[in-house]
Amino acid sequence: MYSDLLHALPNVFALTNFAAVVIGVIAGIVVGAMPGLSATMAISVLVPFTFGLEPLVALGLMAGIYNGAMYGGAIPAVLLRIPGTPAAVATTFDGYPMAQKGQGGFALQVAVVSSSIGGIASAFALMLLAPPLSKVTLLFGPSEVFWVAVFGLASIIFLLGGNPVKGLISACFGVFVSVIGSDPIYGNDRFTFGQLEMLDGINIVILLVGLYALPPVIDLLETPLKTDGVNSSNLGTEPIWKALPRMKYWKTWIRGSLIGIWIGILPGAGGSMAAFMSYNEARRTSKHPETWGEGEPEGVAAAEVANNADTASALIPALTLGIPGTAVAAVMLGGLLVHGLQPGPMLFRDNPDIVFGFMWQFLFGAILLVLLGGSLATNSFARLLNLPRPLLGSVIIVLMLIGVYSIHGRMFDVYLMLGFGAIGWVMDRLKFPLPPVVLGLILGGFAEENLRLALRIGRGDPMILFQNTTSLILVALTIAVVVGPTLKKRFIDGRKEV
Amino acid sequence: MPESRTSRLKRPETLTALGIIVVAAAFLIPTYDLRAISALLPAVMLIGLIVLSVLLLLADQRKARAGEDAQPMTKSPKRVIGAFLLIVAYALATDFIGFYVSTAATIPLVAWVFGYRSPLGLLIATVIVVGTIWAIFDFGMSQDFPTGRFWGR
Repeated sequence: MYSDLLHALPNVFALTNFAAVVIGVIAGIVVGAMPGLSATMAISVLVPFTFGLEPLVALGLMAGIYNGAMYGGAIPAVLLRIPGTPAAVATTFDGYPMAQKGQGGFALQVAVVSSSIGGIASAFALMLLAPPLSKVTLLFGPSEVFWVAVFGLASIIFLLGGNPVKGLISACFGVFVSVIGSDPIYGNDRFTFGQLEMLDGINIVILLVGLYALPPVIDLLETPLKTDGVNSSNLGTEPIWKALPRMKYWKTWIRGSLIGIWIGILPGAGGSMAAFMSYNEARRTSKHPETWGEGEPEGVAAAEVANNADTASALIPALTLGIPGTAVAAVMLGGLLVHGLQPGPMLFRDNPDIVFGFMWQFLFGAILLVLLGGSLATNSFARLLNLPRPLLGSVIIVLMLIGVYSIHGRMFDVYLMLGFGAIGWVMDRLKFPLPPVVLGLILGGFAEENLRLALRIGRGDPMILFQNTTSLILVALTIAVVVGPTLKKRFIDGRKEV
Repeated sequence: MPESRTSRLKRPETLTALGIIVVAAAFLIPTYDLRAISALLPAVMLIGLIVLSVLLLLADQRKARAGEDAQPMTKSPKRVIGAFLLIVAYALATDFIGFYVSTAATIPLVAWVFGYRSPLGLLIATVIVVGTIWAIFDFGMSQDFPTGRFWGR
């Protein structure tokens, strides 16, 4: 089962593949360090540029960006008390007080080492758990695949938290977008309105760039951020080999890694939840909890190890079942599709070199974090906070246009992207979750195809969807995911009343 | 806090729900011309969108009746509208007058309008970005960019 994993290793060391991870990590740290930009947005902008690249080069860039951005978010969190990414909120609790005491450099070194450890643990979890899970899913037929898609959508809608009605609207919108274009079986046009450009359907990259890249650009231009640069000019950084012996947080690192991996696997959770849980657990078990919140380095370690431990593990359900654990994983699924790699069990059978190479790239990306983000580099990255946001916004607009135009060499796609961008901005402001839209687009066509196939096998009888144990288990899991949060809430409310 | 808008129908979620209902209903019309099996999933999704939007609308109106004020979507509407218009104008300019001219004008214009006013910084950034794009995409990857419909190309 794991022999393919070893066979894929030499490919990862090819110069271009390895260079892609290095560039990705650096780019990820830069993006993560800029408040308002995120790994999701960076990967969305990047995906169209990877069309002409070898799959492992493209995936290496994505793996590097994901790892780098999760650490990069700690830089403004420590220096400005502004989390660079949502997952870095818990890092501000002790990171910023450390920076105010002139220990910003040490706080960032704790963050980078902890992020690296979390990332390594997560990559190992992906390597160990994904292959056996993919073997199980190979046994699935059309009705099981249909229910997997329904379960994936239900998970991301109901476990994401927030308003389930808004989650359902997002998912319906995503599934509707997936049916635009020619009918896969009969070939008749659906909602193309005579536009030849839409016959092949809506390219996922157009949707990703519109939904995930345009709203942050508007945010960059809407709210000018003024930084005084006080903490970034007084980091007090010493070489990382001198700082390492002071980091004795093994229990926190192990606990945080396990929490992060578990949260990553759960669809709909994410790095910020992992970081908060790890921080709270570490504080609860600390011998001196009174120092937490006032500049305790272990607090930074707890938050950062967990938010990086959910990176690769979020890809376990994504690669094996096509159900992403986080928004970034959803965007990465889009990246895989661009290269003709359909997530699911067949991916492991048909493209083992690529899928296992991707796992190695996650591992090396995590290791490279310490080398590229530690010591002197941390000082350099901290200076990025002084880049003018309007200038950054205008450059991203240009990159978005180039990326989307390059897909088919036509402006129609750019206008479509702007339309999705406007929708994305409204959804973002009204707190409609965006991951269900992406997942709806990815799973919608997939679900429809398998539903119709199952119905043909059953000669139109819908009971074919409920005629085997696996399907019934998946239906039960879907129901549990839908009603579970409501029952839990009622149970908690009931206990409060008692 | 009591509702600050002149009409409860102007609340952002209510307007969004109404918009979704209208658009989804309009998209339902073409489904009548499709084969039943082809129309199944899109029709279910569109009807789902309408039903869910009605629920959203009712929940929002209930909040309004309870005196809960809805947060505005932005605190700087002029900046947001300006940003959107500039981005759309950039896309149109690329389409009609060409990519390089539009890009060389848009980078400094957007940065200037939104608060970065260093002429030297703008010049350097524009030269670096446009030069890098040309070197990587045009020279290195032979990527063709729009040359402008206005010029008949």
